[in-house]
Amino acid sequence: MENQLVELCLQAASVSRDSIEKWRRQRRTLERLPSQLADSLLRRLISRRILFPSLLELFKHNVEELDLRGESSVDAEWIAYIGAFRYLRSLNLSDCRRLTTSALWPIAGLESLRELDLSRCSKVTDAGIRHLLTITTLEKLCISETGVSANGVMLLSSLRNLSVLDLGGLPVTDLALSSLQVLTKLQYLDLWGSKITDKGAAFLQMFPNLSFLNLAWTSVTKLPNLSSLECLNMSNCTINTLLEGDNNKAPLTKLIVSGATFGDEFEAFHYIETTFLTFLDVSNSSLHRFYFLSHLNSLEHLDLSRSMIGDDSLELIACIGVNLKYLNLSHTRVSSAGVKTLTGHVPNLEFLSVSHTSVDDVAISYMSMMPSVKVIDLSSTNIKGVIHQVGPESDPVLSLSALQSLQHLGRLNLVDTQVTEAALYPLENLQELRELSIKSVSLTDISFNYTSSMPKLTNLRIHDGVLTNSGLNSYKPPLTLRMMDLRGCWLLTEDAILSFCKTHPHIEVRHELVHIYPSKQIVSNSASSSRSTLKASQAKQKPEVPVLPCFLDQRLKYSREELLALQYSSVSCAPPHDRDVVLPNTQSD
Amino acid sequence: MRKEETVKLISAEGFEFVIHKDAAMVSQTIRNMLTSPGSFAETEHGEVTFPEISTTILEKICKYFYWNLQYASGKQTEFHIEPELVLELMMAANYLHT
Repeated sequence: MENQLVELCLQAASVSRDSIEKWRRQRRTLERLPSQLADSLLRRLISRRILFPSLLELFKHNVEELDLRGESSVDAEWIAYIGAFRYLRSLNLSDCRRLTTSALWPIAGLESLRELDLSRCSKVTDAGIRHLLTITTLEKLCISETGVSANGVMLLSSLRNLSVLDLGGLPVTDLALSSLQVLTKLQYLDLWGSKITDKGAAFLQMFPNLSFLNLAWTSVTKLPNLSSLECLNMSNCTINTLLEGDNNKAPLTKLIVSGATFGDEFEAFHYIETTFLTFLDVSNSSLHRFYFLSHLNSLEHLDLSRSMIGDDSLELIACIGVNLKYLNLSHTRVSSAGVKTLTGHVPNLEFLSVSHTSVDDVAISYMSMMPSVKVIDLSSTNIKGVIHQVGPESDPVLSLSALQSLQHLGRLNLVDTQVTEAALYPLENLQELRELSIKSVSLTDISFNYTSSMPKLTNLRIHDGVLTNSGLNSYKPPLTLRMMDLRGCWLLTEDAILSFCKTHPHIEVRHELVHIYPSKQIVSNSASSSRSTLKASQAKQKPEVPVLPCFLDQRLKYSREELLALQYSSVSCAPPHDRDVVLPNTQSD
Repeated sequence: MRKEETVKLISAEGFEFVIHKDAAMVSQTIRNMLTSPGSFAETEHGEVTFPEISTTILEKICKYFYWNLQYASGKQTEFHIEPELVLELMMAANYLHT
C-alpha cells in the first residue's frame, strides 16, 4: 500500500483529544509540515469529529484546503481562526447552518483564497456577499440556496476572476444576470430555480467561455446558441427552441432535459451538434418523436425512463448502440420485442433497466446476448422465470438460466416479478453477482440455499417472503455478505434475527422488528462511518445489542411545548446530515 | 547478515542503523536510491544519510520496515505509534514514501 506509514500516523494523531494534546505543543514541527500533510491531518480531525476552534490556529501556516461542509458547530469563532490561514486556497463551508453574515467577516482577509463554497448557509445574506468583494482572486463561488437576493448577486460583478458561479435556488432576475456580463471568464453557471426568463437567457451569449449551464426549473423557453457550451441542464422547463442560431453549433457533450415539456413547433434537437453528445437524459419529458437519436453516434448514457418511447423507436437506439453503456427504459411501453431489436447492437452496455414495462421471460434470453452487462433491473415486469414451451411433452425452460452467460453480471433486481422459487435455481451459478433483490410472497427458506453458493454476494434483499426462523438459523451466508434486507418477511421473530446477528456479527440485517448495525468497527476517513463507529462504541457500553424500532414518530416522543422549545435550541441535536444529498434539480458535472 | 544484504541508514545525529536490504526497500525512496543506475555513493556503499531525520524517528522507521514485512507475510499485528512522535514520523514517512 502506498504511504501506509503516513496513514498509520494520521490514525495515531487523531485517536482522541488526549493524543492531540501530545503533539499540539510541537509548534515548530507543525509549521514545517508540508501543506498536503497538514490538509490530510486536518481533514482527519474533522472526520473524527475531534476538531475544536482553537486547534485550527496550529494550522494557519500550511493548510491550503479546508473542507468543513455539514459541520453544524462551525460559527463565528471558527471563522475568526480561519481568517488567519494565510495560504488557504479552498474553503468549503457548505451546509454549515449556524454560519451568519457577520461571522463571514474574517474571510475578507484571505488573500490566497480561490474557491469558496457557502451553499445552503441560509443565514448568509447580501451583507455577507459584501465581505467577499475584497477577495478579488476568487475563481469559484458557490452560494446556492443561501439568503442572498438579486441585489446581492449584482454585487458579484466586481469579482472579475470568477470562472465557476453557483447561484442555484436564488431569485436571480434578468436584470441581475445582465449585470454579471462583465464576468467574461465564467465557464460554469448554475441558475436553477432562478427568475430568469427568455430575456435574461439572451444575455447568456455574452459569456464567451461558458461551458456548463444549468437552467432547470426556470421559465426560459428559448435558449440562444452558446458557442462554447458543453453541458446543459434544462430539466423541468418548457422548451420551444434550443441553441438556435447561425453561428458555430455548441460542442454539447451532456444534455439533461428530464421532465421538460417541448413546444408544438419544437424541431427535435435540430440545432444541436450531435457528434460529441455522450450523455442524454430525456426522462419524463413530453418528447414523442425520437428520430434524432439516430444521429447520436457517441452516446454512452441514455435515459428514456417515463418517456413515450416504444418498441418501434428502439431500432434507432440499435443503430447507435456501439458506445452505449447506460440505458434506462423503465416505465415505458417497451416490450420483449423491443429488447430483441437491441441484441447484437449494444456490445458495451453495462446498465439496463426495463423495470415497470411489459417485458417478459423471452427478453432474458435476449439480454444474455449483451456481453458487457453488469446491472439488470427487471423489477415490476412480467418475468415469471419459466417459459412454457408449446407441445404437451416438452418441459418448461427456466428463463433465468440464460443469465449464466453474462460474465460480468453484478446486480440483479427481480423485485415485484412473478418469479417462483423453483425458477430461481439457475441464479446459484452467477459467479459475479454482488447484489440480488427479490420480492415475492412465494419465497420460502429454499431461496436462502440458492444464495449460499454465490461467491461474491454482498447485498441480499428478500422482501415479503415466507422465510421461517429455522430457515434463517440454518442459513449459511456467503463469506462476502455484508447486508441482508428481510423486510416484509413476517414469519421471522425478533429473537431469531438477533441470534442470527450474534453468529454473523459482520452482517447488517434490516427488518421491521430490528435493525442491526454491523458491530465490527471500520476505520475510514469518511464522516458517516465515523458516526457509525460512534454508534457502535456507544453500544458497547450497554450490555444488550441496540434494538431500534424502524420508525419513531418524533411527535409522540415530545409534547407540543417541548417541540416548540426545541425549535430554537442548538442545531447539533439535529439528525446527522447526509453529505451526499444532491437536490434532484441540480446537476453537477 | 552478509554485508551485501544489508544497508546502513545514518540519522541526523550520526547514529547508524544496519538493516536488511529487503526491509529498507519498503521505502520507495530508499529503493530508488539503491537501485538507480549510475554510481551513486548510496548504491556503491549501501549507505544512506538522512540529515533531516532524528535518531528516535529513524529507529521507529526501521521498526516499521520490519513490521511491514511481517504484515505483508500475513502476521497481522498492530504497529503502535506514540502520539509524541506522530508529526515527525509523518514527515519522515512522507519523504521516504512509505
